[in-house]
Amino acid sequence: MTTLALRQDGPGTEPVPGPRRRLLGLVVALVVLVVLLVLSVMIGSTAISPSVVWDALFHSSAGIDQFAIRDFRLPRTIVGLVVGVALGLSGALIQALTRNPLADPGILGVHAGASFAVTVAVGLLGIHDARGYMWFAFAGALIVTLLVLALGSTRQGSSPVVMVLAGVCIGSVLGGAREALQLTDPDAFDAMRYWNAGSIVGRPLEVMWPILPFFAVALILAFAVSGPLNALALGDELAVAQGVRLVRTRVLAVIALTLLAGGATAIAGPIGFVGLMVPHVARWIVGPHQRWIFVYSILLAPSLLLASDVLGRIVMRPVEIPVGVVTAFVGAPALVALARRKRASGL
Amino acid sequence: MSNSPLMRRGAALAAALMSASLVLTACGGDGGDTGDKAAKTRSVKAENGTIEVPVAPRRIVTIGNTSLPFIDLGGKPVGVTEVSDSDIDVLPEEQKSVYKAAEIVGSSGGEVDLEKLAGLKPDLILVQFHSNDWDKVGKRLETIAPTVFWGLDTEWKAFADAIAAAGNVTNALSRQKAEFKEKVAKIQKTYRKIIDDTSFVDVSRGDSSDPGTFYIADIGCSEIARDDVGLDLPEAAEGKDPLAYEALPFEQIGELSKYDVITYPVNAEGQPTEPFVPVVKTNTWKALPAVSSGRALGVFCPGNNSYGPVLRYLDSLDRALATLPAKK
Amino acid sequence: MSTHIPRVDFGRRVLVLRRRRIAVRLQWRSVVVCAVLAVVVAGTAVLALMTGSYSLSPGQVLSALTGRETGIVHDIVVEWRLPRVAAALVFGAALGVSGAIFQSLLRNPLADPGIIGFSQGSHTGALIVILVINGTYVQLVSGALLGGMATAVAVYVLAYRRGVQGFRLIVVGIGVSAMLTSLNTWLILKADLDQAMSAAAWGAGSLNGVSWDQVVIGGACIAVLLLPAGMLSRPMRQMELGDDAAASQGVRVSPARLGLVLVGVALAATVTAASGPIAFISLVAPQIGRRLARTAGITLAPAAFVGALLCLASDYLAQHVAPTPLPVGIITVMLGGGYLGYLLFTEARRRL
Repeated sequence: MTTLALRQDGPGTEPVPGPRRRLLGLVVALVVLVVLLVLSVMIGSTAISPSVVWDALFHSSAGIDQFAIRDFRLPRTIVGLVVGVALGLSGALIQALTRNPLADPGILGVHAGASFAVTVAVGLLGIHDARGYMWFAFAGALIVTLLVLALGSTRQGSSPVVMVLAGVCIGSVLGGAREALQLTDPDAFDAMRYWNAGSIVGRPLEVMWPILPFFAVALILAFAVSGPLNALALGDELAVAQGVRLVRTRVLAVIALTLLAGGATAIAGPIGFVGLMVPHVARWIVGPHQRWIFVYSILLAPSLLLASDVLGRIVMRPVEIPVGVVTAFVGAPALVALARRKRASGL
Repeated sequence: MSNSPLMRRGAALAAALMSASLVLTACGGDGGDTGDKAAKTRSVKAENGTIEVPVAPRRIVTIGNTSLPFIDLGGKPVGVTEVSDSDIDVLPEEQKSVYKAAEIVGSSGGEVDLEKLAGLKPDLILVQFHSNDWDKVGKRLETIAPTVFWGLDTEWKAFADAIAAAGNVTNALSRQKAEFKEKVAKIQKTYRKIIDDTSFVDVSRGDSSDPGTFYIADIGCSEIARDDVGLDLPEAAEGKDPLAYEALPFEQIGELSKYDVITYPVNAEGQPTEPFVPVVKTNTWKALPAVSSGRALGVFCPGNNSYGPVLRYLDSLDRALATLPAKK
Repeated sequence: MSTHIPRVDFGRRVLVLRRRRIAVRLQWRSVVVCAVLAVVVAGTAVLALMTGSYSLSPGQVLSALTGRETGIVHDIVVEWRLPRVAAALVFGAALGVSGAIFQSLLRNPLADPGIIGFSQGSHTGALIVILVINGTYVQLVSGALLGGMATAVAVYVLAYRRGVQGFRLIVVGIGVSAMLTSLNTWLILKADLDQAMSAAAWGAGSLNGVSWDQVVIGGACIAVLLLPAGMLSRPMRQMELGDDAAASQGVRVSPARLGLVLVGVALAATVTAASGPIAFISLVAPQIGRRLARTAGITLAPAAFVGALLCLASDYLAQHVAPTPLPVGIITVMLGGGYLGYLLFTEARRRL
């Protein structure tokens, strides 16, 4: 999803919640996440009793149901956790960076780059293995985001608005090229319609591990720039006055969010709204403090993703709805409600 | 706009001139042969009505799903719409070269380059695609040459009959049909007992199905195994979408344990097809009773829209059933 | 807001003092620009008529146009190429006007009818007809219109809260569009490959197979819609200065805005019905028109001419320059991207 609204928000005007509320909220968020992790292992398109689940997790007994838990539900839950963390943190980063509460990592061309690269892999290079095109997706997301960053940099440094425009611009050119490839190649079309939905099913863990070091780097970078980003929220001039190095902060933040969003997209395909909604909720709980927003986003985003995934497993049993479709249906009404709130509608 | 009086008068004038020149040529004496041949037509029935087609069409263009079945019947189209690489890969060599020799007139059915098609000067156009595409380009195809159209839901045997009739390749068809009958009868005779008291299930994965999903195949080749050979295979309830449209998550693999025999897709070399490899690799699959006792059979299905690939499928099924250990 | 009012007053005073001269100067530039555009459009149209994969000499094309050809040559020129060119012109112009209305209304150079979910909604409607009820072409068109209109209404209603504000409309539109995009992905995922491809080709926006019937009916609808568009163009310009300023000049803001939204959506709907959603022309045309004519705000006539030219040229590129013939919508999407890039290098950089 790409947000065209080029709105810049000033610093938050809400009252800042006290540290007690933040800590309490943190505990609650943690408990919610653990509950959802458990639910994600317990609930699926086949009914498997809790005792079998227990058996599968803590004993190495062999049985079809035990294998199903270990082979499918457990990896899928872990993938959901990792992808969720990456999406939430990347959303928090881009919203801090652009000072736009409606910004989404998709804005910097992450999804466009990844899906273009996958289409090329399938349509022109004839790669049909989903594991094969994961690296194409990652590389596509990284290259396009760097391109957006380069295009969006002015002599004075990079400005959020210009970056967003560059993202939309490159996104639509690549989108057109992608569509042209897809419409002339049924194979590519067929592969892309699945990939485009965004799902955390059937991603074997050994395929995901190589992405994790990138996430680790991104995590460190994100927390390293959380302080300067706080200052940045007050406006460029004030931030500079406080000794923030604008260009360095922005570049590091963009690298971090690209690694996170690109990696998540490479693993799961484009999943919208998680990166948009979660930092909002986080900001609403903790106020305008980037480090806290990051921590909360890391806890809340996987919860949202896993809840959506569990929902997608049970609404149309035995068929599952890809989690990307569910998050859009959960997220869009929330976005509309947000827009109808008084504060968000000023311009 | 084309009906403005001026244009109509011009057209009438042109027509008059042309018929005059035709009369003159005819009087010349040696044009009789070609004129005669063009006049000979026969009618075929299809979804777009009764169409007069040439008795022996020479320049045929196949659009949508008609290309491969027509080539399978020994036809040599001058123009085709693109067929996906995965379908071309499994064709016999001589059919591959026939396809490659034809001019590509469009990527998919609805996006036909009509002018290029007209430039090929076809005398017959065979079409199978979505009816929406027909609504879009059907009328124009008909102005180029006699056009025979079938919808996507045409049953494959009726489709083969119709293509053979329209494209004048019925000899090849009767040979294939006889072979089909013979093969089916042989399988039924050899494996009578297995067919009678074994429950089968055919599972598959699409070339690019969503990772982590598979489906129970009840259309395509397994439809032939069920309806013609008589294997006991699951079928969707009347009026419901085929089971194959339901992408089942891998954790449903366990549900397959209720069937005696599982068939799964393999390539020409007998190895699981690339998309199906992830299923075979799971521990759940390996733990299935049918798999652990050697009653999971790889079957090669090169296509199911004409007799040629179906015959190759039956051969593969025959070989697979022969490996089935006797049931306890 | 407070900084705006003196400027508006100043502007009006200037306009009153030298009313005739300014009015004439503005109009003169617009007229010249439109005339030049018309010539370029005509040239492109001739080129498009001459080009095709069935090779015809200019003489043959000419004689076919004057009715002196029969058979396939007549069909190709008069029944295939000509309606396609006419459709590109008429539909392009309609999209240009539709975009101009939305950009003026929302005071946002990135606004187009897609912003209120029209494109996504009509795609959803079309997909449901193609994939779920397996309907005919007429049903497809009605489904698309119904879907688009219903979405537009839903977005408008959801964004309504004591009046409709530009920003809220945009955000609600984004949310609803994202949801529908997701639904579309899901529908395509569930469908058979052939059907899904057919639906996707429609969704890309294509002039392939456009017939005289579609051009005449679509053209008539567009002509009828251009009347109210012309009538509302004055209040539209006044509303660009802000609702309060417009109201003080006697514009009834709410009905005028609703009327403009209706006309804008209906224009886009007509085009969508005939050719599927052709993206980005409505976004780009008004801006190029405004720059060429050097008007202060968005004006309808230059937008219409630029729209026609863009659509025609894109269709020419899609048919004859691309390695395989493509739906025109794919070229216009890339064109839109290029335009945004241009915007990036000029305006945004200068401003920041």
